[in-house]
Amino acid sequence: MNQNINKGEDSSVTVLSFDTSTASLAAAIVRDGVLLDSIVSFTERNHSVRILSEIKELLSRNGLQGKDIDVVAAGQGPGSYTGVRIAVTAAKTLAWAWNKPLLGVSSLEALAFGAWKSLQSADENIDFDTETWIIPLMDARRGQVYTSRYSAGHSDKWDTIDKDGIRLIADWSERIEKEATMDSQVSSIWFVGEIAPHKVAIEQAEQSGIRLRTLTCDMDPGAVGQLAELRFRRGERDDVHSFVPNYTQLAEAEAKLLAASRGE
Amino acid sequence: MSASNNTANVAKAANAGSLSPNSSYLLLAIETSCDETSVAVVRDGRNVLSNIISSQIDTHRQFGGVVPEIASRKHVESITIIVEEAIREADISLENIDAVAVTQGPGLIGALLVGVVAAKSLSLALDVPLIGTHHIAGHIYANHLIGDIVYPALALVVSGGHTELVLLEQEGKFRIIGRTRDDAVGEAYDKVARALQFPYPGGPYVDKLAQEATEEVVLPRSWLEPDSYDFSFSGLKSAVLAEINRSRMKGESPDFSALARGFQNSVIDVVTVKAMKAAKEFGVKQMLLCGGVAANKGLRERLASLCGDVGLPLLIPTNKLCTDNAAMIAAAADLKWRRGEFSTLDLKAEPILSLEDWSVGS
Ligand SMILES: [Zn+2]
Repeated sequence: MNQNINKGEDSSVTVLSFDTSTASLAAAIVRDGVLLDSIVSFTERNHSVRILSEIKELLSRNGLQGKDIDVVAAGQGPGSYTGVRIAVTAAKTLAWAWNKPLLGVSSLEALAFGAWKSLQSADENIDFDTETWIIPLMDARRGQVYTSRYSAGHSDKWDTIDKDGIRLIADWSERIEKEATMDSQVSSIWFVGEIAPHKVAIEQAEQSGIRLRTLTCDMDPGAVGQLAELRFRRGERDDVHSFVPNYTQLAEAEAKLLAASRGE
Repeated sequence: MSASNNTANVAKAANAGSLSPNSSYLLLAIETSCDETSVAVVRDGRNVLSNIISSQIDTHRQFGGVVPEIASRKHVESITIIVEEAIREADISLENIDAVAVTQGPGLIGALLVGVVAAKSLSLALDVPLIGTHHIAGHIYANHLIGDIVYPALALVVSGGHTELVLLEQEGKFRIIGRTRDDAVGEAYDKVARALQFPYPGGPYVDKLAQEATEEVVLPRSWLEPDSYDFSFSGLKSAVLAEINRSRMKGESPDFSALARGFQNSVIDVVTVKAMKAAKEFGVKQMLLCGGVAANKGLRERLASLCGDVGLPLLIPTNKLCTDNAAMIAAAADLKWRRGEFSTLDLKAEPILSLEDWSVGS
């Protein structure tokens, strides 16, 4: 069915990508790892209103049609429940209607990846001989964050250390600090993304006084597409029909029912 | 097109010239306003080629009612599967679709969003017009799938979320002359069903129990002001609960079937008497019964008999077309298609949406 399934490693790949997990609606065209064009809008609560118009505008101003797209990619969350459903629904429906490969990317990984790129280009004295931890944060209220952990370094090193989850920022930042103390390879640690509500907790976890650093940033519009392209070139594909957001937790009613069935 | 303008009166932009509004066309409709994911393919607004309904009721039953967040999650899981099934069953190919319609509101916002975003994605991918559609207009025009509507007509809309008397002076023009001031009929049925210890959704059990009852506990009728076509059912629901309590205080077990009959008779008396009075006052030529509660046997029979008495033609959709389904959305969207009234890609899901404002030509 998917005509591009056997696209070779060397051929050109055009990715249409978007993410609506945060306050920003980020849509982009990425071709062969390079951000061709993007649209970012901060009209939260209006993601569902604007998303298809933004995609249409992005396609038309780059002279592209559905047939020119090789991959449809979306941030799969975590993040706002309603928010992530918008990008996921648009992505699976477009991929199905165009009969194109679909690839989901962790919105947290995209947030971290975008921050890592900007840290590199901002010349933040990164020591590439050692390891840098990038820890993306999205506020999940009541002292909680959606977060994960990546290890970055030389020659495009980019590894997942901890998967996406919802965690208490106080415990999480303390754990990061402790583990970094035991790992001599780690030279710097960056908490990135939605920092403001959690700055105090991060500062309290700090022991050495220099190691835990923060970067407030929004979703990089190209990051979802770039990560999706890497997955695509590795031959990975997601199934359109079973493609759903990664909420990282049960709906409240389900959690209560589960607790009740366990007699809690 | 401006971002703030949801409706655009444009000639069919995508296929301009290739189709006139009168020639044969295929509409794909999506309905996700509550707990049913439904997609239909309808030819010329009336000929239903497929009408797939995926109910989430088994999921929500364990929670005793529809949980909005879970409904939204289920819609995302099902949406492309149901679209594909509707296309397959209609035995057409996706490229044959001439327009996409979707329930814009009213409904659960998170649930509506999934359908609206999917419909907009299809509209963009297929380069065909989009038609944002009113859910209640859908229930009313379900009647157009089973017969011809003669105007002026009066629609009695009874469902889990709505109880309304709607006057249609002409095609596609909606005027609400009466509405519930508290619970919808279906809501009252479900609450009473819970008191009578039936599982959710309990409306059909109450109907059945009332039909079988030999006794009746006579309950009050809520007529409101003499000239009002509005409804109120919360007092009736409270009267049922009070009767149950009274029996228990006396150490007796309440007669559930007599209560079910008393409740059902009160509801049916009020809605049918008001509907018949309005039909007379406005001189309508036809009565339309619709909405999920239109499947209620007691209600159907009473209204049929009252309409029969005065020689007023009555239309009632089949049970499948009474419950939430996408074919009815296509039937209503056809009103807009024939007038070239399309929505832009900035269509916004609206949990509260005025039926009167959705009328054609407005
Ligand atoms: Zn309904």
